[in-house]
Amino acid sequence: MVWFTDRHFFLLAVAIYGLSTVYSVFLWRMGFRKDDRVNYLLLLAAFALHTVAMFYRGLRFGHCPVNNLYEATTFIAWTIVAAYLVIGLLPRLRFLGAFASPVLFAIGVFALMPALDLPHELKPQFSSVLTSLHATLILLAYGAFGLSAVAALMFLTEEHDLKFHKLRAFFSLLPPIQRLERVMNGLVIGGLFLLATGLAIGLKLIEIKQKNGAYAPFNFKNDPFYFYREPLVTYLIFIWVFYFGLLMARWRFGQGGRRFAWGMVASFVFILLTFWGFLLLSPVHQP
Amino acid sequence: MNIVVIGLSHRSSPVELRERFAFADAKIPGALKSLRESGVAGETVILSTCNRVEIYAATSLEPAKAFAELKQFLLRWGETAGEPDNLGVAELRPPKAVPGDEFYTLAGPQSLHHLFRVACGLDSMVLGETEILGQLKQAYALAHRHGHTGAWLNRVFQRAFHVAKHIRSQTNIQRGSVSVASVAVELAEKIFGLLHDREVLVIGAGDTSEKTARALLSRGARSIIVANRSHDRAVALANELGGRAVPFDNWAAEFEKIDIAISSTSAPHHILNRVKLEPLMKARKHRPLLLIDIAVPRDIDPEVNFLENVYLYNIDDLQAIADDYLKQRREEIARCEQIIAEKVKTLLEAKNIQPQISTDGHGLKMVTAKL
Repeated sequence: MVWFTDRHFFLLAVAIYGLSTVYSVFLWRMGFRKDDRVNYLLLLAAFALHTVAMFYRGLRFGHCPVNNLYEATTFIAWTIVAAYLVIGLLPRLRFLGAFASPVLFAIGVFALMPALDLPHELKPQFSSVLTSLHATLILLAYGAFGLSAVAALMFLTEEHDLKFHKLRAFFSLLPPIQRLERVMNGLVIGGLFLLATGLAIGLKLIEIKQKNGAYAPFNFKNDPFYFYREPLVTYLIFIWVFYFGLLMARWRFGQGGRRFAWGMVASFVFILLTFWGFLLLSPVHQP
Repeated sequence: MNIVVIGLSHRSSPVELRERFAFADAKIPGALKSLRESGVAGETVILSTCNRVEIYAATSLEPAKAFAELKQFLLRWGETAGEPDNLGVAELRPPKAVPGDEFYTLAGPQSLHHLFRVACGLDSMVLGETEILGQLKQAYALAHRHGHTGAWLNRVFQRAFHVAKHIRSQTNIQRGSVSVASVAVELAEKIFGLLHDREVLVIGAGDTSEKTARALLSRGARSIIVANRSHDRAVALANELGGRAVPFDNWAAEFEKIDIAISSTSAPHHILNRVKLEPLMKARKHRPLLLIDIAVPRDIDPEVNFLENVYLYNIDDLQAIADDYLKQRREEIARCEQIIAEKVKTLLEAKNIQPQISTDGHGLKMVTAKL
């Protein structure tokens, strides 16, 4: 009997996310005056355990582990922390960790609910490289959107402090708000690119698999817009259009930074609350 | 060998007196030479800034005798200070003032303690300022270059620089801005990050707005636009700051381009309100705008702060931040004093002080005392 499974590694990672959350509250109470290296190292340690957990799970199935809600959730959290660790190499953006760790902790606790990790066998239709790439890109897009929401929280905190002349705005080591706006923009653009690529690969996959006789309800040849009847695909297209709309509102119509930031936060909360439902409704993704 | 210090500072004397004893840079080597030739000092450094004139000396004389001779030297210097061959600024001199108890004299541990406090900015007019450290380094380098320092002063000055660095990194004594102009710069950096591509509009060419504009320029602001009721004054200030002047009635037209506006007119009413700013913000596609209102009565309606991407600070807001920084610095004094006391103690407890010849990073031959 294996006494230490990938879930245990993930549990340890979540525990460190929790520790990082506690430390983040301390940093917030101190007005973000101290260098955030401790938090960065905590998240780095959690990331290592998180990666080991995903690696073990992936090794068992021989491909990217995104077959059930637990795996998809842990993957989204992993992409968020991975993106943070890269961005956090810039010292002034390291405080993103203080805003990311509560989100990571919440996602981690949610993912650990036993009902999400239903046992499944290796599914042949999920075993191709293209399928793994499709799932990976879409979840990476979620990670980018998640981190943009984290940057937005940071922006809203600092903008509020500056607007209302709070001394914390001066004493803190948070980055300038225009830099945070650029970070938000960059992450959304990256997320849109990843999502579009992931969707395109997904549509191609359906086409390929239909030729092999799979996905009978969808007749690609007679109904090129078949994917409208596939809830998850429709949902993802809606998400893409929505984020694109936010970006356009900002670029074309001078949407203010605060509204854009609220848009980022609200959109990601919407994704967190609705993604699971659409995944369960999807006949293609729950065959 | 005793290390002594005699001097005048902003704490002990008014500027009318300090300026009588100030040393021009070009005259310091001569003064150092005469101090050593007179036998009063084996090694000596003269620090002369706008806020202090001090002579540091390593002397074999008893402190009381050394102080008497150093005071005589300073008085003689003061007597001749108005002569062009002394400072070269005779025409600026007011009638001579006679010094009373304004000279302070310190010897032994107190002199070291004083030097360390000066290096750390604890004795400065603006608590914790760093300019004095640079001035002290220059004074030391000048004396060292002309061979007027030796094992004793090399040791204590280098230790002073080390202590200043230690205090800067370990305490908050030098953290934050304590003037309205520097707080405005810090604020701009909190919003925009680097100021290299930023344009600044100065409405009303007052003294504080000029200082603020200069501070922004010194941090890289790209250009300054000046609007003033007296266009001639606007042109003069614009020329001085390397910017351009615009007619006062046209300042609003510049809002599309600028990032920071500093207002200090003497208008009795608001010259900018929400109704006027809203269309301007739309025209500039809601890019962040920092408004600094240093006029009394205020030029900008506080309501504009409710507009998105507009950050309005008035003189009281900026002063409150500067005061808070100063308060923070004051809270750090005790920590700094403790560190300085420990460093002085360590230095005094050092035994077997031996002169040692080495070379510093600039290739200068250094004579220091080794613990």
